Amino acid sequence: MLTFQIAFRNILRQKRRSLLTGLSMTGGYVLFVFGFSLLEGSYGNIIDIFTLDSTGHIQIHQDDYRDRPKIYKTIQNQEQIKVALTDNPEIKSFTPRVFSPALAYAGDKTAPSRIIGIDPVLEPTVSRLVQKVAKGTYFSTSPNPDGYYEAMIGRGLHIRLKLDVGDELVLISSGADGSIANDIFVVSAIIGNKTSFDRMAVYLPLVAAQEFLSLGDDVHEYALLVNDKDANETIARGLSAQLSELTVAPWQEVEATFYRTMQADKQGNYFSMGLITFIVFIGVLNTVLMSVLERTREFGVLRAIGSRPMQLVRLISLETFILAFISVMVGFLLILPFVYWFAEVGMLMPEPIDMGGIEFQHLKGEMSARVFWIPMAFILGTAVLISIPPGFRAARILPKEAMGSH
Amino acid sequence: MFRLLLLLSLTWPAIASEERARQVIDEMEQLYRGDSSDATMTMQVQTPNYNRTLTMSSQSYGKDYAFFRIHAPKKDRGVATLKRAEEMWNFFPKINKVIKVPPSMMMGSWMGSDFTNDDLVKETQLIDAYSLVLLETDNQYKVTLTPKEQTVTVWDKIEYTMSKDPLLPLSQAFFDEDGEKIRELTFHEPKEYNGKLMPSILEMRPLNKEGHLTRIMYDDIKFNVPEITKDTFSLRNLKSRF
Repeated sequence: MLTFQIAFRNILRQKRRSLLTGLSMTGGYVLFVFGFSLLEGSYGNIIDIFTLDSTGHIQIHQDDYRDRPKIYKTIQNQEQIKVALTDNPEIKSFTPRVFSPALAYAGDKTAPSRIIGIDPVLEPTVSRLVQKVAKGTYFSTSPNPDGYYEAMIGRGLHIRLKLDVGDELVLISSGADGSIANDIFVVSAIIGNKTSFDRMAVYLPLVAAQEFLSLGDDVHEYALLVNDKDANETIARGLSAQLSELTVAPWQEVEATFYRTMQADKQGNYFSMGLITFIVFIGVLNTVLMSVLERTREFGVLRAIGSRPMQLVRLISLETFILAFISVMVGFLLILPFVYWFAEVGMLMPEPIDMGGIEFQHLKGEMSARVFWIPMAFILGTAVLISIPPGFRAARILPKEAMGSH
Repeated sequence: MFRLLLLLSLTWPAIASEERARQVIDEMEQLYRGDSSDATMTMQVQTPNYNRTLTMSSQSYGKDYAFFRIHAPKKDRGVATLKRAEEMWNFFPKINKVIKVPPSMMMGSWMGSDFTNDDLVKETQLIDAYSLVLLETDNQYKVTLTPKEQTVTVWDKIEYTMSKDPLLPLSQAFFDEDGEKIRELTFHEPKEYNGKLMPSILEMRPLNKEGHLTRIMYDDIKFNVPEITKDTFSLRNLKSRF
């Protein structure tokens, strides 16, 4: 307690120097938090965009369907999986899907396309498909009065086949039983825009797609959302143990390329943030060294009246720590409203980023405990660390020599 | 000297056997093709992933014209294939569309079976496009077919085995350029159909795909049917609903 008092007084003794040192640490902290928040926020945003656009937080497939899709690598036993997914309190929603490449005809035009069979009711609970309807209406499961099922097509198909809402679309593909799947569908909606990943997709109601591809009740994929998106890898592991015959993959595996790129980019950013802190602390180190040098006589006296060398080390560390702590607290109060604003409102970008038909106009930050405490811990830790060498320098002072110096 | 003899012994019979082989194959095919034919058959496709049985009718006229129409299962009913010389079309009644099979799809599967589209188009032209070497044993003819220089094919060699009496095909083995046997067509259970003896079962077995087998069983076949003329094999007929 005495050490604490002395340390505190020592900080107040040189107010200007403490203020300047403190300011540089505050600045370092503010920059660190701000950079960290934006980095996490923008990546969080991108991750949200594609996980909510179609990927989901976790996907379930049969075997290696994800890498080597074959129409007959299907998930059977729907009931068992549905029960398992419904009963799991960590899972928010799930939806089954089937896929197949197909040749799309309209009039005398043809285009390669990809059939995505979805459950019209469950799909909106996982993806933003409904919001991506650019024209027409989101389809229903039941066929129209003429007996044709409805289909929603991507913008690319709409352009290539000159196909509009209400037109007939012919699809040819190969069925799971080796038959040549062929049928007519009526376009009910146009999805997304020219850059969407599904611009060449044909969305069909699940039952229609299963019938078309002779799949029976089987599906190729379950995509699910979890309540706590940061825990998706843990939940995926749990599910994987539960559904051992299937392959359960969190989005980090599904979008492995993106994930690795993101990790590399983040590490680069952490490094540059660390560098900022390092530069800030070179200044701080200088200050601490200066103050030790300046107070040689004083430490000599302290030693002479019986202070232990370790007490001096502790005193100097504590001084630096208290100063760093106050700076970080001030920095926290300063940056909090900014981070809050960036997280809630975000900066309006001059050019909105378009992700598959959904526009993102704001550069957003992340507001979470870790955005504040990681830089805080880093700065406080560094402060203590750099104060140790000057501390030892002070501890080595011999009273006799010290009191003779000026 | 020895080498010359060897060379002679290799080439001389080859030239002689070319004509003889052509005769044998021609004779045999003529035996059970007739001018025209009208058949109903059942095709079973077995794969590790699915089994499928189709019943269909087929008509043929000479070497160049053939027509297939699927009768069952219900889902595929009416799907038809027309072959004229080296061209091929498929018709899908559900979408009312005739689709010409492009050259790039010729090696693709026909109706999900182990037969390729190419098999249907080219099968009858083997003796024109390949050089033949005949090997005769007591009860079998063995003809080795190697593609002529201008022939476009994926096969490096085909071995065609026939029994002498009765003159019937037994098997066709297809080899790729590495000399590996890729698939084998075997003929089984000869039966008499309207006075002609012919194999009632054909089995195509791709050897590079385990568990795959396509079996065609002739339920009935009539020959020299007067109703079947060249006009039967028109695109208009292909599209007619039945």
